[in-house]
Amino acid sequence: MHISLDWIAQYVDLSDLSPQTIAHRLTMATAEVEGIETLVRSLDGVRIGQVVSIEPMGDQLTFVSVECGTEQFTTVCGALNVREGMKSAFASAGVTIARRQTITEKQVGGKTSQGILCSSEELGMGGGHFGILDLPASLESGAALADLVPPSDTLLEIDNKSLTHRPDLWGHYGIAREVAAIFERPLRPLQLVDVAQYNDLPAYPLTLDDPENCPCYCCIEMTGVTALPSPLTLQYRLHALGQRTFNILVDLTNYIMLELGQPMHAFDASRLQAIRVAPFGTTGRFTTLDGQERHMLPEDLMIWNEREPIALAGIMGGLNSEVSERTTGLLLESANFKDARIRRTATRLGIHTDASQRFEKQQPPANTKIATERFLSLLLKVGLQPQVRSRFTSQGTLKEQTRYLDIPTEFFHRRIGNPIAQDRIVSILTSLGFAASKTNHTLSVGIPPFRSERDISLPVDILEEVTRIQGYDNLEPQMPNFSVERVAFNDRLRTQHKARRVLAQAHGFSEVHNYSWFDETWLKTLGYEPEATLEMVNPSAEHNVRLQTTLLPNIFAVVRKNTALRDHFRIFELGRVYLPAGEQDRIEKNVLAGASCQHERLGNLEAHFRQVKGALEALAEQLSLGALAFAPATTTTAPWHTPGGYVDIILQDAVVGQLGFLSGPLLAKIAPAAQVVWFDLDFDRLEGPIFPATSYAPASRYPGSWFDFSIVASARAGFAELARILDEFSHDLLKKREFMALYQGKGLAEGTASYTFRYWIESQDSTLTGEQIEAFQQAYITFLESKGLHLR
Amino acid sequence: MQEIRTQLSEDLTAATTGQDIEAVRVRYLGRKGALTLLRKNADFSAMSADEKKRFGQQFNELKRFAEQQIAAAQARQKNTALAPPRIDMTLPGLNNHLGHLHPISLVQLELEEIFQSLGFMILDGYHVETDFYNFESLNIPRDHPARDMQDTYWLKNGLLLRTHTSANQVRALEHYGVPVRAVFPGRCFRNEAIDPSHENTFYQLEGLMVDREISVANLIAVMRTVLTAVFHREVTVRLRPGYFPFVEPGFELDIQCLICAGEGCSTCKKSGWIELLPCGLVHPRVLEFGQVDPERYSGFAFGLGLTRLAMMKYNIPDIRLLNAGDLRFCQQFPAAV
Repeated sequence: MHISLDWIAQYVDLSDLSPQTIAHRLTMATAEVEGIETLVRSLDGVRIGQVVSIEPMGDQLTFVSVECGTEQFTTVCGALNVREGMKSAFASAGVTIARRQTITEKQVGGKTSQGILCSSEELGMGGGHFGILDLPASLESGAALADLVPPSDTLLEIDNKSLTHRPDLWGHYGIAREVAAIFERPLRPLQLVDVAQYNDLPAYPLTLDDPENCPCYCCIEMTGVTALPSPLTLQYRLHALGQRTFNILVDLTNYIMLELGQPMHAFDASRLQAIRVAPFGTTGRFTTLDGQERHMLPEDLMIWNEREPIALAGIMGGLNSEVSERTTGLLLESANFKDARIRRTATRLGIHTDASQRFEKQQPPANTKIATERFLSLLLKVGLQPQVRSRFTSQGTLKEQTRYLDIPTEFFHRRIGNPIAQDRIVSILTSLGFAASKTNHTLSVGIPPFRSERDISLPVDILEEVTRIQGYDNLEPQMPNFSVERVAFNDRLRTQHKARRVLAQAHGFSEVHNYSWFDETWLKTLGYEPEATLEMVNPSAEHNVRLQTTLLPNIFAVVRKNTALRDHFRIFELGRVYLPAGEQDRIEKNVLAGASCQHERLGNLEAHFRQVKGALEALAEQLSLGALAFAPATTTTAPWHTPGGYVDIILQDAVVGQLGFLSGPLLAKIAPAAQVVWFDLDFDRLEGPIFPATSYAPASRYPGSWFDFSIVASARAGFAELARILDEFSHDLLKKREFMALYQGKGLAEGTASYTFRYWIESQDSTLTGEQIEAFQQAYITFLESKGLHLR
Repeated sequence: MQEIRTQLSEDLTAATTGQDIEAVRVRYLGRKGALTLLRKNADFSAMSADEKKRFGQQFNELKRFAEQQIAAAQARQKNTALAPPRIDMTLPGLNNHLGHLHPISLVQLELEEIFQSLGFMILDGYHVETDFYNFESLNIPRDHPARDMQDTYWLKNGLLLRTHTSANQVRALEHYGVPVRAVFPGRCFRNEAIDPSHENTFYQLEGLMVDREISVANLIAVMRTVLTAVFHREVTVRLRPGYFPFVEPGFELDIQCLICAGEGCSTCKKSGWIELLPCGLVHPRVLEFGQVDPERYSGFAFGLGLTRLAMMKYNIPDIRLLNAGDLRFCQQFPAAV
């Protein structure tokens, strides 16, 4: 929203305050000022001119005679709003207007054009290109425009978001009140006409059918008003803020909206019989005054003339009830609409007007009356003499009463944390329009009706008012006092962090972050159809509807993306999966998934698989989970669950995840010419002790010994089968068995492999003797023979 | 004899190993060595006394020379054998084991340590939340304009993806009661168009402190302490009004620009200040939703943007890099905090 400092200066003395100072202090105390713009008007040499005669030339051009005081000029004019007798701004040859354009005498279509009639934009006054200035007849022909309009203005751009809760700041008077409070200067009161004087007149026929969405509707009828051009001051103020001007009646409603934040609407009274405020009721169409046909829903709130809809409440009027130059009777609407209702309709129809924007902030109802009184006051000021025909008619609640809060004085000190004098509190509140009176230790605070009930209703709301004007940067920081207590660690998070570190610091994995939803296009490529999922109503894209139930598809997408960049890499993600539970619930699980990818020429798949498996085993060990077991997996729920290509990961008899490798067409889609080993672990089931009870076991005082045995066994049966058999061997001296190496090939029969194991033996109470060692070896060989195994 | 002397020198130069030198020794000084033979074969009968004497002198000198030369060669060889083997120590180091943590994890780990040092609990939360915890309990009832400020991803079952970690405030109050000091880091979602500075998926760290007498002055002091630890230097902070329905008063906390120390530069858009985090005193209605009596307790809350901090800390210019899974990005970050 833009604020004109020239306008603000009407209410507060801004002398000796630079725009930068005002902007800074407003930012620190009220709302963020995002920019300062200077509007420079090009007025030198431009004079008030009266159109004397108009001669059509075709091509929408007219040949116009203009009188500026005693001088006569001719000009070729392209504006549609030029009319005989009107007063406008004339720049003759030699005058420089906006964008450094100097006017010269020209021949157009055989006619001499000695200058131009100017639009507000051509004079750098803002307001857009809506035809030439249409000025009041009272202005003296030939008068210099520079004597009537200030040469420049400064506009502050205020962040709309920081005004969300402050409907009172959507007008210049509200901002002026803040400036007055901040700089401790007086705020000039608004001139109002008390509408109580019309109480004897009949009420305007008004029915309010939807008080929930229209808490208060007010109107007043008057005649003797004509839709003449607005005074110059009104026009340049509106232009500076980008508003188009029409006529005094419409312009005044816009002016008051920009002054007080209260939108109003001017109806041609002659076209109305009675006002009704009610929902549209059915689906149908309504044409707004911009000529657009709108699709209406039953709940959209409308203003009706008896049974005919005439305006989209709070958003935009209709085509048939607008004031025009023929208007002599005015019905002035000043209403209060429910923010949510206006927001829903405006958003659905895509109409965001100055009015809807303000109603969406929930204006206080009391403003409807103040705005009406201001309208009447300004009508008189511009010299119109309206004959009021109805009393100020209102339905609903005006909420004109001051609301009171009693607050202990010490509350301010305690919540701010710094002392603040009671007198200072009172003076700040008073400057903001609050009533404040003190009795001993309590402050009675009266909340003015123009402040939103939603914004101000509790002592902390008053606290904010006082503290922000006092200045947050004047506060002395103070560390809180609290008793020292041990804070429990979050064991689950610590386990997660530990896992991250083990994978990244010891096993070469890079952590990635993926989105929390599936990519349907990619799922199709993978040939994966997840089971029950949670779905979004408004996804970021059509193919991102379902929340992920496994991290692997997105992991595989990262693998594919990086195969062109790296010939080997390992990635992991510790993320969430989301599973539906019942009708209105969900289960969220932390999942650790990852993949290791390497070009096939870099090593064999079995070794690659063993490296990843080793990383998971090390992870389990570091998390003190105990040993992981791996067993052939049986379920096939996803394309990467290739039978024979993956195993279940088992922890204490429960399946906690899967480990596998990609092959076939799936591999070709993800990483052709590479090996991809993947894993998927239900992390919530991997909780081990955070401080594991690692216990030192003393080494034997007597030297031990080790022996390597290479055993030839069936390669098809696999390592696990051999290990299961070897587990049956026990011996007093045996400390541990380690697998050292695998050999297949020359010197071994087809289908067999040589597995080398290292056996560590030692005794706790003596040095091993030759006999003991020999007895151990003999026992082992006898064991092997009993199992049909032999040494290589 | 001169010939023998010359030959010996050449032979010793050629001998590199201990065995070679030993062979030279045997060849010259052994029982059948050149020197032994020279003496054995000398015809003393044909020599005068003088000649005998001269031969004796020359022979002794030659023998001494031979013994010295061989001993020296042996010593040289021994020294060579003790020297370390020659390797190329200029070859690059090998490191096959280090991976990389995500920048968000790195910043999160660091912040968790800072907050733990101040006695805050670290709590986790749901990504999929209820309207109650994400909005209602934070004083954002249905139709509140603040709902427009946070474009929400709604699920078909009526739940939503949390738009802020503030959704944990009332959960923490309900679960732990008061007094409470806690931070909740985690992933948040907003239905926004993605560009270099906007993401629909990002990380926040929300903090909450509720106790008997918590004031605005406390909030400033704690924030200043935390931010000084985050940026590893003294940080100047300022508060200005900010509107968030779940705090009152609400603030935007700015820090003085660390690049230009407040002078004004391109990073701070010439203002000297950088908007860093929203904060404020917990709204009494939020306390009530958390079953806490606002008459007896007060507190503050703040929302640190983890994503934003990571971008500041690692000079990441484009937010989209964080979720892109491009290893050219991921592999630039350390494996350890």
